[in-house]
Amino acid sequence: MQVWRWHVTMLASILFRFTIGAASAGAIVLVAWLGALAFGPEAYGVFLGLAASPVGLLVGVGLTLVLFSFLLNGGRHLINDAGRGLDLKPANLMSALTAWGPPVLTAIFWIALFFTGKVSL
Amino acid sequence: MSGKVQYRKGVKVSERHGAGEWAIEKIALVILMPLAVWLAVNGFLLTGAGYDGVAAWFASPLNAGLLALTLVAFFVFASLAWKVIIEDYIHKPGTKAALIGLVNLICLLLVLAGVFFIARLALGSAPLPAGFGV
Repeated sequence: MQVWRWHVTMLASILFRFTIGAASAGAIVLVAWLGALAFGPEAYGVFLGLAASPVGLLVGVGLTLVLFSFLLNGGRHLINDAGRGLDLKPANLMSALTAWGPPVLTAIFWIALFFTGKVSL
Repeated sequence: MSGKVQYRKGVKVSERHGAGEWAIEKIALVILMPLAVWLAVNGFLLTGAGYDGVAAWFASPLNAGLLALTLVAFFVFASLAWKVIIEDYIHKPGTKAALIGLVNLICLLLVLAGVFFIARLALGSAPLPAGFGV
């Protein structure tokens, strides 16, 4: 391990593994959402109540972050798996996009949700 | 374990099932990319829609079908991705096999539950547990 030094491509790789773990938790939340809906308006009301709580909103923001991270990092991985973008410059650029894109997109997503009145505190 | 080493276009052909799993993982990920964009857009639109709004959304076979496809593709991808992660860090054969089996079982159960719920919502079935003799 001593030959390693910090590099943005390494960060992207670690973030993708972390994202897959978090996305799995997100998929469980999605199935729970479907279950709440299938059990009818009353059960769904309980779900919405939890989602609107401070912890629920935090989870919501986290899930959006994970979704965008999955999208950008998954795209990077597919391009790299096709044997492209492995030179230093594109690899660095894509890894940086993978790391910084998701928080920016998440901020835009939630600002738009508040701005359109879909979510309010 | 290994048979005769074979080559295709100068690249060694996988002796067991590694290459097949790698390909399936990539195909699932390719399918998931546009679906992730679709999910983000519809998640945005459905926020604050309430039960009736969401129920109306599920009445569209396109929405129900794409969401079911998203679930299936994601859990196919996730089970293979978790397998790779487990194989990287767990080296004790018994524990490794048990963990991979457990992950596959959880993924399968979640897919079955998810698709079952989507089907009921798409068909406009009465809220559960209706139809289960309760």
